[in-house]
Amino acid sequence: MGLLRRKWTPESAEQWTREDWIVILISPLAYVGIAVGTALVFFMTTIGLIVLGITMLFIILMHWIIDPKLKTISREYERKQKQYLIELEQTQRWEEVQ
Amino acid sequence: MIHFAVLDWIWIFLFIILMMGCGVLFYRLGKRSESDFFLAGRGLPWWLPASSVYATHTAVDTPMWVTGVVYKYGLTGIWYAFFAAWCAISAFVSTRIFRRSLAYTQAEWQGLRFGGLGGELLRGWMTGWQIFMTMFNMGWIGIAMGKICQYLFGWPAWFGLVGFSTLCAVYVMTSGYWGVVMADFQQGIIAFCAIIVVSIWGVKAAGGPNGIVDKLAVMGESWRLNPFHFTGLFSGDFPLAWFITMMVIAVIGGFGMGTNIDWYVEAQRIQSARSVRDASYTIWWGTALVILRNSIWAIAILGFFVLFPNIKDASQYEMGWFRLGFEFLPVGLVGFFFAAILAIHLSTVSSILNLGAMYATRDLYHHYINPQASQERLVRVGRLSTLLILVFSFFFGLMMNEITKWLIFALWIMAAGVWLPNILQVIWWRFNAWGYLSSWIANLGLSWLVVWILPMAGVLPNLPDYLQFWVLMGLTAFIYIPVTLLTKPENMDHLVRYYMMCRPLGFWGPVRREAEKRGLLLDVKRSA
Repeated sequence: MGLLRRKWTPESAEQWTREDWIVILISPLAYVGIAVGTALVFFMTTIGLIVLGITMLFIILMHWIIDPKLKTISREYERKQKQYLIELEQTQRWEEVQ
Repeated sequence: MIHFAVLDWIWIFLFIILMMGCGVLFYRLGKRSESDFFLAGRGLPWWLPASSVYATHTAVDTPMWVTGVVYKYGLTGIWYAFFAAWCAISAFVSTRIFRRSLAYTQAEWQGLRFGGLGGELLRGWMTGWQIFMTMFNMGWIGIAMGKICQYLFGWPAWFGLVGFSTLCAVYVMTSGYWGVVMADFQQGIIAFCAIIVVSIWGVKAAGGPNGIVDKLAVMGESWRLNPFHFTGLFSGDFPLAWFITMMVIAVIGGFGMGTNIDWYVEAQRIQSARSVRDASYTIWWGTALVILRNSIWAIAILGFFVLFPNIKDASQYEMGWFRLGFEFLPVGLVGFFFAAILAIHLSTVSSILNLGAMYATRDLYHHYINPQASQERLVRVGRLSTLLILVFSFFFGLMMNEITKWLIFALWIMAAGVWLPNILQVIWWRFNAWGYLSSWIANLGLSWLVVWILPMAGVLPNLPDYLQFWVLMGLTAFIYIPVTLLTKPENMDHLVRYYMMCRPLGFWGPVRREAEKRGLLLDVKRSA
């Protein structure tokens, strides 16, 4: 297995892993980059262009890392969702809490 | 007063017809069930609720707020509007956890996370608080629209408040969240186009990008182009300590639920997404648009500053973006601009109306009053709740000037002392309902002490708001941590059920081991 995992089983995708933490780190930086880069690039500054370029790379990288995992989680969860919804409706009844 | 040409009125009527059309078109879908009326059947692709995240968080008072801080602080002002960045981490942590819970509302999630009497008390409190907040927010935003109409047309403020909110309620009552999200999609596009068009016209009037840079240099105001122009560690208008506090609150807050007041409305969008993946992208991309929009506004406001540099009165310069639109757009486009303001207004009002009705229907009526209610009845109650919230919001709107100061205080204190508990409830299995409840109660009392009473008595100095945040956060922890540790943990069956469904991040070791022991969970490390 390489540094970043891109193939997931339903069980392994349910774990919080290195890939999640990398995305948690990159994502706020991407927002900072959007805020600063957009404003500065409009004033034709070189730093604005660089910031916006790096931000785009961050966004692509973030999706490349997390998308396979999110897809696996979603597929697995949707299989169980119908049953969970029935349970939710039952357990949320006020009478049953008494 | 503004004069509208025929073309301007055509824009406005076209937009109103388009918007009302949403109500009629999605009437059949909205009335199918409670899930359809409030969550569009949990089946939306990510880009639809993402556009709703963006549209909802573009209210008529937002450009005033952003204009105010950018006019005063230059590009550093964009950080005052950076609180939306809680979604950076939330999109991949709390959003994922919340979507898996399938809870309609945050109040319902409290009942899933915490069990027994404590869980019920929390659910009841959260329901009441959110119904109150929706009416308050509706009143706040509604009266802002009333004041804009007063400025534009000379109408009395109540007319703009009642007229447009009622118009909006028609399609919210007809088709519920289906109408809200579909209208938000088109309103979001219209609003974004208007923001770009007005900004381009404003910047052009100020001499173009290079013209703005040159004029700022001549005025000795080039620092306004630096988004990191700190005025010291603790001193001046933009201290580094404030920036760090804001970043911590916004970014780290994404691990929790409810750390930002916008969480409650986003939670509905999260549940309406068709999968966990769609929910994550809903929150991430919707907020990316919000941050992009703030920067586009900031550029235009720097243009406004160059055109009108000496305005001292905040209530005057806060209208800067509206002035760029109404004073610099050509005839015919002014109507488009007003239609965009309507779009901005209605997208926020419709979301808040439907959200308040959801709490009233799901957490009050369905949970406590009539648990066996049919789907047809629940939709009817949803419509009635929408109407009631609308009517009560008018009262809030009309007395807003008197209560604003008190309610801003209420909003502020709700953020400080419960910020960390809002994270702990997500990441720490041992944090229980009594700990969370005690944090709310402690926060209410301590915030009065820290903000008003102790400074008046000379015990504490008058602290800036970012230092008050840290003090309140620390003091409340002295109460809720002992309360948590001195009371029993939540029932393990309840916690295991929650863990299996939501798979939370953080300190959940004992619950995970119990789930493995019961054979509910495969031990991935051992099996590997």
